[in-house]
Amino acid sequence: MKYYFILTSVCCIAAVLSLLTGTTPIPLPAALAALFGHGETAHILIMQELRLPRTLLAGCIGAGLGASGAALQGYTRNGLAAPGILGFSACASLGAVIALYSGLDQWVPVTALVGAAVGVILIMFMTGVRKGAATLVLAGVGLGALATALTGLIMNFAPNPWALSEIVYWMMGSLRNADMGALYICAPLTLPGLVCLIFIGQDLKTLSLGELTAQSLGVSVVRVQTLVVTGVALCVGSGVAVAGSIGFVGLFIPHILRMAIGADPAKLIGYSALGGAGFLICADTLARLMSGPGTTLYLGILTSLIGVPFFLWLAVREVRA
Amino acid sequence: MIRAKGLTAGYGPCDVLTGISVSADAGQFIALVGPNGSGKSTLIKTLGGLLAHRSGQIRVNDKPLRDLGLRNRARTIAYLAQDRDSQPAMTGQEIITLGRAPYRGHLGHIGKTGQAAINRAVDITKSQAFLKRKFGTLSGGERARVLLARALAVDAPVLLADEPIAALDPYYQITMMEILKAEARSGRLVIAALHDLALVSQFTDHVWVMNRGKIIAEGSPDAVLNVQTLHDVFRIVRPESGFQTLSVSGTHVRDGCTF
Repeated sequence: MKYYFILTSVCCIAAVLSLLTGTTPIPLPAALAALFGHGETAHILIMQELRLPRTLLAGCIGAGLGASGAALQGYTRNGLAAPGILGFSACASLGAVIALYSGLDQWVPVTALVGAAVGVILIMFMTGVRKGAATLVLAGVGLGALATALTGLIMNFAPNPWALSEIVYWMMGSLRNADMGALYICAPLTLPGLVCLIFIGQDLKTLSLGELTAQSLGVSVVRVQTLVVTGVALCVGSGVAVAGSIGFVGLFIPHILRMAIGADPAKLIGYSALGGAGFLICADTLARLMSGPGTTLYLGILTSLIGVPFFLWLAVREVRA
Repeated sequence: MIRAKGLTAGYGPCDVLTGISVSADAGQFIALVGPNGSGKSTLIKTLGGLLAHRSGQIRVNDKPLRDLGLRNRARTIAYLAQDRDSQPAMTGQEIITLGRAPYRGHLGHIGKTGQAAINRAVDITKSQAFLKRKFGTLSGGERARVLLARALAVDAPVLLADEPIAALDPYYQITMMEILKAEARSGRLVIAALHDLALVSQFTDHVWVMNRGKIIAEGSPDAVLNVQTLHDVFRIVRPESGFQTLSVSGTHVRDGCTF
């Protein structure tokens, strides 16, 4: 309970900082008033239409990535599992890139979601539902590699440099297109995904004894696998659909929290959702601060740049301990 | 309590068990013996409902095992796996508590009965010293005790144990056997796959001898583990003086890092 409180506080502080950050300086009282529709029209517009959806979207995507990573690490019993491991983010990216290639930019979220859904169907078709974690990961890695190769193929045949650069920028991941519309796409999908993942927490904890023993304790392997696949697809697919692929959050947030708080996979899912949300809100705020006029620092690059050194430091510390 | 008739079960294209019929009752300590690859683990998994049987039937308390439902089955039959595997960063306490999984809600609440079952399992296995320690830091014998406590915490009327004393030193082997025997005496049905025939004849009431997927003999240890069976099934010679019995001479629990 204590950790939920701490992590929620971190998220709230990060959200306030994020809401106060932007090219137009708006002091705190004016910003709060504008959020509720009082004050200058320009301020109301900026707060309600730009900053609030962006902050909420960052939180939403971060929560989905953190929880997905924690659930997959628990399910595969391997700390190296990341949300991308089932291939859904690569499938969603492929969907989005097809739209960008065809010049149908406004359809990106839809085609990305279709891509993720096709990925789910293919995974289910390939592995069935009772083969266990190792088969699921193997199929997921294969699926991801195929989707990445097809994405490369499309970029290879990009009709013009403009389309290619659009694809490349999109793949770096950013919240520059964040608006209420994006939030309405992402949140209604991420929330049920989070529910799926949190729901299997106790079963994942039991699965740490091995699949057979977990089965003997009443865990339905079929149900767990179905909920893992559904939850991860909803969280990851909706995130990629509105912001492109944002790397590393799902890998290192659960890892850090496991070291800091404990290895219980059931608690780790909730903690990682909050941790991921807080981290992504901070990272997006930082990305905006570091972007000047004319140059944009992409969020996906920043998350990896922050995440990797920290992750390496932890790994080295673990080796030396 | 458990009645199985004409069981066939296996993996992929192979049937490992063929035409097995057994019956076992509450209060019995049954040893399942046989060479490697004779189908002991498969029979234990099948009786526990962890591997679907292909033909035949299993009835538990006169109800078909298949109709029990996941939770109900989990509350009736506890299973102790052969590999002593778990998340190394979880503590002994967390692992033993998982034994209550068939009773908890989605938020993982453990009630008074659950806590009592956990405390009893910890007492019986003398696992108090391992509660706060991480599983990865425990020795093989200590892990075996924690996992046995986990299986006992289920407090199920049936305990199936797959080679519970493999790779343990003589002291741990004997104490494990004593615990299993006491559990049977308290009214549980305990079925354990075992390799140490001396300990089998010393501790168990009844023996099922398996060979090539069939039960080829059953009865009291003395009647079944005779010169002929040992020669035919195990390809060993029974010592003329019979099996030696061993007993423990004291308690010795490693506490923390010191011996």
